[in-house]
Amino acid sequence: MAGGDMGAPRQARHGNKPHKARRRLNVRIDMTPMVDVVMLLITFFMLTTVFNTPQTMEINMPSEEGATVEVAESNLLTLRVSHGDKIFWNIGVEPPRGLEFDQLRPLLLREIAANPKLITLVKVDRTSSYKSMVDVMDELNLASISRFSLAPFKDFDRELVDAAAAP
Amino acid sequence: MVRKKLGRLSVFIDMTPMVDVSMLLLTFFMLTTQFRPAAEAEIVLPTSNSAIKLPESDVMTITISKDNRIFIGVDSQRLRGELFGTGNALSGGVHVENMEQLATLLMQARTLNPKLRTVIKGDQGAPYGPVQDVMDVLQRVRITRFNLVTDLEKS
Repeated sequence: MAGGDMGAPRQARHGNKPHKARRRLNVRIDMTPMVDVVMLLITFFMLTTVFNTPQTMEINMPSEEGATVEVAESNLLTLRVSHGDKIFWNIGVEPPRGLEFDQLRPLLLREIAANPKLITLVKVDRTSSYKSMVDVMDELNLASISRFSLAPFKDFDRELVDAAAAP
Repeated sequence: MVRKKLGRLSVFIDMTPMVDVSMLLLTFFMLTTQFRPAAEAEIVLPTSNSAIKLPESDVMTITISKDNRIFIGVDSQRLRGELFGTGNALSGGVHVENMEQLATLLMQARTLNPKLRTVIKGDQGAPYGPVQDVMDVLQRVRITRFNLVTDLEKS
């Protein structure tokens, strides 16, 4: 369609004005500079493009109302991360015990196997690092504990942890 | 022995196909590129084994730097302009002075674009305190689902 439209006036012009056969001009353009520039731009865009989107960890929090859940104390595993990123754990009302980070996953797996109804509560001290909180949550995810609570680290938690660290 | 004069070989290579491909690549990269806004603070991400990818668009990032400063940023330039004023449309994020301001900005952002996903991008050396405050604010403004940005752990 387009070709026909464009062809028509051309034909007419040729018919109106017959001219001598001209020597064909050499229409070859040196494209090297253009290729240079294009390659430069490609390199630039390739280097600035961000291909790797970072990984994320998803958290779903309960909305504020109705957040209380009654749990028997024997079913409550508390993990405390104290100042200096030390980890303490206890079940129920036992005194907290210190724990190395690489022992955390075996412990979680063992306790979950022993009591599948176990609810995990994580308390992180405000002065400990964000990394330790992410690490603990990652271990929980790896131990396929997908439901756990985050609770504020209170003064009595600090006392408990200090008492556990003292002897 | 008389050699016939050889015609000079033309060393002119037809570059048209290469230019075609290059232009195609250039167009692709130009259209897909998303300029990373200037980083407001250097963030070293903590590592985890979580494999959930960060969504590509509609992301609101709350950055917590090592020295306890909190920034908030969104990925769309238009929304940045509406939220933080046109002067800040090109900057990666604005500094948040207190939690009240953060709550206000979060609610405004959610009103302007309800599809926004919230992510927390904390430095691994940052203390947990500000992170806890930010999570409390998120819970208060009813953003109960959010993501923590991490790097993939190299095992």
